[in-house]
Amino acid sequence: MKLLRILICPLTSVLGLMAAISPAYAQQTAADSALQDRITALEQQVADQKPGESHFMVAGLTTFGYVTNKTTFTGPGAAGQIMRTNSFGDADHYELSPMLLWRHSNNLLVEFEPSFDGNTLGVNWANVTYFAAPALQVRAGYFVVPFGIYNKRLAAGWIDKLAGDPNGFDSPGTDFGIGFSGGVPLGDMKWSYDVSLTNGLQLLPDGELQNAGIADNNKGKMISGRFSLLPFSNSCLEIGVSGAHSNAGDAGSNFTSASVNMYGADINFVKSFDPILVNVKGQYNRIEVSGQTYPGQNGAPDYTFSNVSSAAFAQISLRPTGVDDKFLKNVELAYRYSSYNTPANSTWGANSHQNDFGVDYWLSWRTVLKFTYSLSHAVSTANADQGGTPGITDVSAVYLQFSVEF
Amino acid sequence: MKRKNIKTKAWIAIASAFIVSLIVLNGCVESKKIADKSGAQLWAENCQRCHNTPSPASFSHGQWVTIGMHMQTRAQLTAKERDKIVAFLQQ
Repeated sequence: MKLLRILICPLTSVLGLMAAISPAYAQQTAADSALQDRITALEQQVADQKPGESHFMVAGLTTFGYVTNKTTFTGPGAAGQIMRTNSFGDADHYELSPMLLWRHSNNLLVEFEPSFDGNTLGVNWANVTYFAAPALQVRAGYFVVPFGIYNKRLAAGWIDKLAGDPNGFDSPGTDFGIGFSGGVPLGDMKWSYDVSLTNGLQLLPDGELQNAGIADNNKGKMISGRFSLLPFSNSCLEIGVSGAHSNAGDAGSNFTSASVNMYGADINFVKSFDPILVNVKGQYNRIEVSGQTYPGQNGAPDYTFSNVSSAAFAQISLRPTGVDDKFLKNVELAYRYSSYNTPANSTWGANSHQNDFGVDYWLSWRTVLKFTYSLSHAVSTANADQGGTPGITDVSAVYLQFSVEF
Repeated sequence: MKRKNIKTKAWIAIASAFIVSLIVLNGCVESKKIADKSGAQLWAENCQRCHNTPSPASFSHGQWVTIGMHMQTRAQLTAKERDKIVAFLQQ
C-alpha cells in the first residue's frame, strides 16, 4: 500500500503538471504557426515588390487658367477696332499631358506623352532611348528636335515662369527621326551635344514652314543639333548654339530646290545671390529659306520675297528663396521681352514685340499659380497685293494660370 | 551648285562634330573638384537650371531611377551626375 502510494504520488504530480502545461503548449504552437504564416506573407510581399529591371510610371502635367484679352486692330487710315474676349483654358494655354515612362532596363527608356490642348488630342513625343555609353544616348521615334532650349526644357507650364509662350519658337518642333545626345565632363567644366536626323520641314505655298510629318515630302532629311558649354564648375551658366539644315520643298513641286537653314543661340544663368535666386534665360532663332517664287493669290501674279524670320526672347525672374518668411520665399517675379519678325512682302509678314510681366506663387516645387500681364504690338509688313492685311495690332491680356506637374 | 556646297558643308560640319564627340567621349575626364561633389550638391546645382529642385519625397526609389534616365536625356546630365542625384533623392 505504501509502495502504491509512492508510485501514485509522482504520477499524479506528472499528470497534474502535464495538465497544467498542455494549454500553454497548445497556445505556443498556435503562436508559432501564426508567426510562420505572417513571415510567409511578408516574404511574398517582398517578392512581389522587388525592384526588377522593368519599371512603368505615369508623370505629366496639367495647366489651366483664365484669360481676359483686348485686341485693337488699326488699319491704314481707319479707327481702331476693338475686340474683347474672356475665356477659361484658352487653346494656347490649357494642357493636360500625362507622360508615360517605361524603363525597360537600365539601358532602355520608352517615353510617350499624349496631350490634350483643349481642341485636339495630340502627342508631344513618343520615342525610345538607348543609353549606349555614359555620354551617349541614342534616341529614335517622334521627339522634340534639338534646337535651342525653350521647346525642349522650358515650355512646360509648371516650368515656364510666364503664362504664355514667346512667339516664333515653334520651329523645328517635333519630328520623326533618330538622335544622339550626351553630357560630357571637361575638367571643371561640362559640355553637351544633342544632334538628330529627322524628316524635316515642309515649305507651304505662302512660304511658311510646317513639319513634314511621318509621310515625308521629299528625299532630304533635316540635320539639326545643339551644342552647349557650362563653363563654371557649379553649372550656373550654360551657353548653347544650334544649327539645322533641311530640304523643305515637296518632291516634284516648284519648291523642289527649296532648303532651310536655321541658326540659334541660347543662354541660361541660374544663381543664388543670397537671399535672391536670379534666373536669366534667352534664345535667338533665325530661319532662312532659299529664294523661291511663290504662286500668286487670288489671280495676282507670282511673287517673291526674302523668306527670313527671326525670333528672340530675354527673360529674368527673381525669387527670394533665402528669406525666412514662408509666404515671401514662394513668390517669384518674372519679366520677358520677346520679338518676332516674319518676312516683309509675304502674306504673313509682321514685326512684333511683346512684354510679359508676371507674379508667381509656388505652392510646392512643382505647383504654381501665375498671374501674367502681357502687352504685344505688331506692325504688318504683309504684301497687300497678295491678300496680306496691312495694319497694326495691339493686344493686352491678363492671365491667371494654375499649373502642376504630377 | 551653291545649294550642293551648303549641303556638303553641313554634312562635313555634322560629321566633324560627331567625330570630335566620339573622341571627347573617350578622352574627357572630370576634375577632382567635380568628382568630389555630393549628390545633394549636384541636385541643387543642376535641377534648378530648368525647374525648382524636387523634393526627395515626391517619388519612390524605383520612380527616381526612371525619372533620372528621363532627365538625363532632357538636360544632358553626365552619367555620374545622374547616378549621384538619383542616389540622393532615394534617401
